[in-house]
Amino acid sequence: MNMRKEVSLIVGGPQGAGLETTAQLLTASLARMRYGVISDREYFSNIVGRHSYIHLRASSEEIPRSLTYPIQIIGAMDHETVFTHFGDIEAGGAIVYDLSTEDKSLDNIPSMEKDLTSRLRQLFSSLGLDGSIRGLIRHVSSEMKVLPVALNYPELIMRIAEKISLPAAQAPRYVSAVVYGAIAALLGLSFNGIDYAIKMRFRERGDIVSINRMIVGEVYQMVKDKYDLPFSLQPSGLDHSEIMVVSGNDSIAMGKIVAGLRFQSYYPITPAADESFTLEANERISVEGVDLGAITVLQTEDEIAAMASAIGAALTGARAATCTSGPGFSLMVEGLGWAGMNEVPVVVTYYQRGGPSTGQPTRGSQSDLLFALHASHGEFPRIVITSGDHLEAFYDSIEAFNLAERYQMPVIHLLDKFLANSIATMPLPKLDHVRIERGKLVKEAVGERKRFDSSYPIPPRYLLGSGAITYHAGDEHDEMGHIDEDPENREKIYRRRMEKLRLADEEVPEEKRVFYYGDEAAEVLLVGWGFVKGVALDAIEELKRDGIRAAYMHLKFFSPFPSRFAKKMLEKFEAGKVISVEHNYLAQAAVVVKIHTDVKIERNIVKYTGRPIYLSELVGAVKKILGGERRVVLTHGP
Amino acid sequence: MARSPLEYRTDVWVDWCPGCGNFGILAAMYKALGELRLPPDKTVIVSGIGCSSKTPHFIKVNGVHTLHGRAIPFALGIKLANPELTVIVNGGDGDLLGIGVGHLVALGRRNLDITVLLHDNRVYGLTKGQASPTLDRGLRPKALPKPNIHDAVNPIALALASGFTFVARGYALMAEHLKELIKMAVRHRGAAIIDILQPCVTYNNIHTAEYYQRRIYRLEEGVWDPVVRDPAERREKMLNAFSKAFEDGDKIPIGVFYQDPARDTMVDRFAERLPKYLESPPAHQKIEDEGRPIIDGEIFRKIFSNYVVETE
Ligand SMILES: Cc1ncc(C[n+]2csc(CCOP(=O)(O)OP(=O)(O)O)c2C)c(N)n1
Ligand code: SF4
Ligand SMILES: [Mg+2]
Repeated sequence: MNMRKEVSLIVGGPQGAGLETTAQLLTASLARMRYGVISDREYFSNIVGRHSYIHLRASSEEIPRSLTYPIQIIGAMDHETVFTHFGDIEAGGAIVYDLSTEDKSLDNIPSMEKDLTSRLRQLFSSLGLDGSIRGLIRHVSSEMKVLPVALNYPELIMRIAEKISLPAAQAPRYVSAVVYGAIAALLGLSFNGIDYAIKMRFRERGDIVSINRMIVGEVYQMVKDKYDLPFSLQPSGLDHSEIMVVSGNDSIAMGKIVAGLRFQSYYPITPAADESFTLEANERISVEGVDLGAITVLQTEDEIAAMASAIGAALTGARAATCTSGPGFSLMVEGLGWAGMNEVPVVVTYYQRGGPSTGQPTRGSQSDLLFALHASHGEFPRIVITSGDHLEAFYDSIEAFNLAERYQMPVIHLLDKFLANSIATMPLPKLDHVRIERGKLVKEAVGERKRFDSSYPIPPRYLLGSGAITYHAGDEHDEMGHIDEDPENREKIYRRRMEKLRLADEEVPEEKRVFYYGDEAAEVLLVGWGFVKGVALDAIEELKRDGIRAAYMHLKFFSPFPSRFAKKMLEKFEAGKVISVEHNYLAQAAVVVKIHTDVKIERNIVKYTGRPIYLSELVGAVKKILGGERRVVLTHGP
Repeated sequence: MARSPLEYRTDVWVDWCPGCGNFGILAAMYKALGELRLPPDKTVIVSGIGCSSKTPHFIKVNGVHTLHGRAIPFALGIKLANPELTVIVNGGDGDLLGIGVGHLVALGRRNLDITVLLHDNRVYGLTKGQASPTLDRGLRPKALPKPNIHDAVNPIALALASGFTFVARGYALMAEHLKELIKMAVRHRGAAIIDILQPCVTYNNIHTAEYYQRRIYRLEEGVWDPVVRDPAERREKMLNAFSKAFEDGDKIPIGVFYQDPARDTMVDRFAERLPKYLESPPAHQKIEDEGRPIIDGEIFRKIFSNYVVETE
């Protein structure tokens, strides 16, 4: 039997039907067997019924950094999944589906978007298919040698349910266990790994553990006996003894906890709210009965209050943050300016989703870079940092607070939904080198104090409650914080405020703000940021196999921008060989690069459908650019 | 012994119009702070934007002059991060009942221990006299090109409905009475609000000192007991307060409408969940040890063990 180095698969089903459970079980069991995993979750802004799916890639050689097509396995919880994804399956792949839905037809899926229904209808009529699952499965198995793994889900579940007298009404809950069992068998996962995952997922709930174990076990055995583990992964070559399974929201919440976050305010919004849930679940930081600290997590009445209360908390010296996405940040903008004006270290964790307006609430995007850099009226310094993967985001979320306090200004940690919702295996972070820098914090003082003392580039930060008496104002103020519109005062205090960014630019090493990956002698340079990192790194490796020497420039800081370093990297390449790769229309990072380096990036690969950039399409797009195209717009992914 | 009100003065020039009702409120505040002996370093005055919101600059305690309508959420963060601070909010009727009214309602729901002083002049002073949310429909103070087309909101009723546990009305030009109300409000544990009727001599030629002088009467002059002494009395006291709230027109009551001292505050609610909250609130917690996080690799592994997979 030929074992695989890696596998890509999709598990799909109606929102609310336990898809997450399948994904968590799969990830945990793969992780248990030391495979590296990354998965993207695609869903609608809907609670029950709309099609949602997990796109997962597992590898025996590395922690995968990107997602790709085609896939080898589809695990379909319902027939809509088969219709939606069959086109992405590799020849020789497998579809796990419900035999009891064989007669279901494309014509009767109200949850499917009409655009897709009509595209499929056209395709089916050109292929001479009748629009039923039966017809489609027959087609893909004869034309593409796809292996149909047909299981009668309701029958299977009822058979087991009867044995343990499970109420029939609860049966649908276990569809996720059936699909999981089948995929686990196709992949040749060990039963030990499966068992571990079930226990990890359901923890104390012993009854659920045993029902799931029975169903998964039965399906696993059936599929194993019948199909002989056709997609078995080769034993993992990775050598860690433990690994974390986290979403981007989780890794950032963990970073904030290590950073010493003590006040987090938020107003619920996708895809940010899960971070606050993770924080609230861990509000009491205690180990073996010893309390190490506690975080006040507050759901506010709106994002305006989230921002304002985080600033208020920061004035007292607590490390304070809020988290949101575009619509919420739009409301926070006036407060952001106040924080800039009053030199308040507040951190905004900003997860981009598709805009404008409500846009695509549950889809990913990188279209808020220019907004994050420029939001709010007037001029004030801010730091804007972005992160490329789970671990980077963890460390950056700590650095965000250090920079905020060191330079006494708001820090925007700009992320995206791709990272927020992707669940991946992540090595345990190393904390030995992590530092907490609180800047010029004054915890004890007496009497009236100049909070905005111009004799320092960055003044001592007298806290509310420190014993000092201080004033703050959104109006232009004097060193004491009282309103003052005198032109000389204005010039002096304005300049000092603005100059803090120059100071940060001088002090924060540029090699920590932009990164170069790949061959020094590369001929093509991809330029990207945020979640593009993973796919770009995988793409340069794949391009290398095709004889194309490419490198990747990863931008982490957009303010202060690493102008000199970035310029040096960019200038080594021919103008037509630098390509910005971004999840927006304008190629916004390229705009920022131009402002700071005067280098114009003339080629771009962009995607704004809300789905991640896949390795397969990025490699293809780079080749198109090298073939003479100036811009490639990517659209793959349902 | 009381501190002298003079101790709370700053040398910032008070730039309100001569005769403005805000002077009365400021005077009452100086006295109240002095009589309460509030330590300036442990007291924070937070304001929004408007004539009234300049107040913090004139008082020698910590002052945070924020954004239009947003004083309450700034105060919220300050108080929750450091509950030992006494936090007072000053704001206009436009500020607190117009642009920022959502925060006012939310503060009531939280019953957080903050005192809100609502400068109710029924106009937008600083933007030159437009109608504020407390101006009745059909009225036309002098800056308005046309009579007001909106109905007024009732601040007392709104505060009661929102959950404030101390609800009072004062009058800017009865500084002694107002000072007593402020003292009670600050001492009260829970969200407190005083609707302060404040003549604006420049833009409000209807609700003048004379207008109020003729109508105002003190609740405490009659048979009136606004204090909830037993939870069973809540409903009755609340209904009484509502009915007084709508007494307007020829007679305008001032004084305490409602007080429920036993309701738990948001600080109490957090303290229940986080046992060391009061002893070590967010502002005072130690988060590092000589520059290193208090969470090291080993502790991290323990805290987040749920996320860790031990491989086969
Ligand atoms: C977001 C925003 N919108 C508008 C303004 C302009 N503005 C300044 S003060 C004010 C109204 C002030 O009225 P009020 O709150 O009643 O205070 P007063 O001046 O009457 O004391 C307005 C609308 C502002 N500062 N910010
Ligand atoms: S405009 Fe009215 S409220 Fe403002 S200072 Fe003048 S009198 Fe006072
Ligand atoms: Mg007003």
